[in-house]
Amino acid sequence: MIIKWLRIDSRLIHGQVANNWVNHVGASTIIAANDSAAKDDLRKTLLLQVAPGRTKSYVMSIDKTARCYKNPSYENLDVLLVVETPGDVVRLIDQGVEVKEVNVGGITFKEGMTLISEAVSVSPADVEAFKELDKRGVKLTLQQLPNTGASDFMNRLKSKNLI
Amino acid sequence: MVTIVIASHGNFSEALIGTAKMIFGNMENVDSVTFNPGEGAENLLEKYMAASNYFDDDGALFLVDLFGGSPYNAASRFVARRENMEIVTGVNLPMLVEVLGRRMAGGTLTELVQTAKQAGAEGIKSFREIFARQKMADFSKDEEGDELG
Repeated sequence: MIIKWLRIDSRLIHGQVANNWVNHVGASTIIAANDSAAKDDLRKTLLLQVAPGRTKSYVMSIDKTARCYKNPSYENLDVLLVVETPGDVVRLIDQGVEVKEVNVGGITFKEGMTLISEAVSVSPADVEAFKELDKRGVKLTLQQLPNTGASDFMNRLKSKNLI
Repeated sequence: MVTIVIASHGNFSEALIGTAKMIFGNMENVDSVTFNPGEGAENLLEKYMAASNYFDDDGALFLVDLFGGSPYNAASRFVARRENMEIVTGVNLPMLVEVLGRRMAGGTLTELVQTAKQAGAEGIKSFREIFARQKMADFSKDEEGDELG
């Protein structure tokens, strides 16, 4: 499996991912790796409903995504991988998925989180996971859409005094 | 680059551009023309003329709200005797977003017209119709093994 793009986006599959990123990165397949969505048959069905028709799309648990990643029959598959949190990226790496770069796209604000851009908020647990990814040499970039500016995510955390 | 002019009754055209920025991001060479109560065809023609000062050789695509409405009727007078301009009616968000994408990929005026007509129509869907055809996910089976699904 060739991970063309790994995006953190708490909405998983939605208009922006479906229409813009798939075309931009040239992936044939979208995988939304998320334990709760994979277990929720209705949510999974509805996420797949809005996936673009020209790509194959899947909603799977983190564990199953890692198993498929290692399956040699998908060796040449170009994938856009979407996860909900940086903690999910750490879990994928722990299970043998090779990750060099992560696009931090959208994390919806909830109580107890810090807003760090128009589209991204972080919880204390997210900050710890981002620090872990940074420590492991993963490049973290803040970018919402293919044609909007990209900036270094760890610098953004620093500027907000979160690290 | 083909210029896109969105024209509507009231502020719809201006608001549609703001909305499209949430989906598409930044965009250039996109203009809006509004038609307001008390205005007539001459006002619209003046606005189209002012917008056309920024057109380049690639031409312009007018996306207007309603076939037969004043913004359309004035646009048709403006476009009929000029080269490299076209009008597509029934502008909506799926149409605009797809046209912007096609234009970014180097689309010509003719290609953008095709994209506009297709995306504008295909963006209209009924949830129940799609849902009735969809196979429901089944976690107890889906989670097994190492094959996609």
